[in-house]
Amino acid sequence: MAPSPPAVVPMTTPSGAAPVRAMRLLLVLAVGLLAAAVAPSPAAAQRVRITKLSDVAFGSLTNLGVDAVRNQSVCVFSQAATRGYHVTATGSAPGGSFALLSGGNQLAYDVQWSPSAGQSSGTQLSPNVTLTGLTSTATQQSCNSGPATSASLIVVLRSTTLSNARAGSYAGTLTLVIGPE
Amino acid sequence: MVRKYIPSVMAALAVLASAGTAQAATQGSLGATSTGSVSISASVPNRVRISGLSDVAFTNADPSLNASNAQNVCVWSNTSTKGYRVTATGSGAANAFTLANASLTVPYTVEWSASSGQTSGTALAVGTPLTGQTSLATNSNCASGPSSSASLIVKIAATDLQTMTAATNYTGTLTLLVAPE
Repeated sequence: MAPSPPAVVPMTTPSGAAPVRAMRLLLVLAVGLLAAAVAPSPAAAQRVRITKLSDVAFGSLTNLGVDAVRNQSVCVFSQAATRGYHVTATGSAPGGSFALLSGGNQLAYDVQWSPSAGQSSGTQLSPNVTLTGLTSTATQQSCNSGPATSASLIVVLRSTTLSNARAGSYAGTLTLVIGPE
Repeated sequence: MVRKYIPSVMAALAVLASAGTAQAATQGSLGATSTGSVSISASVPNRVRISGLSDVAFTNADPSLNASNAQNVCVWSNTSTKGYRVTATGSGAANAFTLANASLTVPYTVEWSASSGQTSGTALAVGTPLTGQTSLATNSNCASGPSSSASLIVKIAATDLQTMTAATNYTGTLTLLVAPE
């Protein structure tokens, strides 16, 4: 009696398994790509930058009866869709207050900010308090193209403070933190 | 061998030399927030101020008694010691302390005290600085803190009053120059 042929013919052979795996892999990739296309993508990171800051040197103040004002134009860039940003200023005196120091003596100063370049006055800043709702015209992160500057930093020593100040050389640091809006 | 250490020594000297200098402005980098800083410096020179002076009027002075008028004044000095000197000049010949009516003259004396509320002090000589004075004033015109910080005393001796012509006005100006010490 001759042997009967096998009742079931294997669908695959060792040599035919590879195409099936490849098809499964392609299917998984296709599903993944489709999911990636359909799912909402995360918003582009909103980045900001402040540059073109210069030290503020009042020098020797001979006339203590008038306000001493120093303003500078700086570059603030915002990648936010609205180009919006906020600014927070902190001084180097105790509590972050805006004051210069000479030994144990303090010389308070005011800080103002304008979202336009070339200004000699602006919105008064308070230490550690954020000024919001600002918009930049900068089109390049360090203003190398487009507007050369986009904001004004104004530092004021008031005559009322100067006329009562102790003699001496005063110094301090003002730190500005920019955030997107 | 010696040459080998020269660059290191020079670098160390450079670090030491820069230790006392003010920090330069720092520029922000592009990021979720961006931080920059500026150094601020100012120098306040030595300054003084005299204020709170009142005119002196000897009205119907009794020639049998010495006449004296003391007033509190404000002298402010912003030096580290709050020191000052005072120089007085009159309106008489060669800046003498004299009152006059045409050719009639009468001498007076001037005294100074570095404390308020005094009726006597150190006698001033015409044009000669009285040095080593110290002020307690904390405000340039004594608007806050002590309301006055020195005493000005003007006197006319009875013997001089007796040389004056009755019912005749003698006038003059006393000038006080205050300088920081």
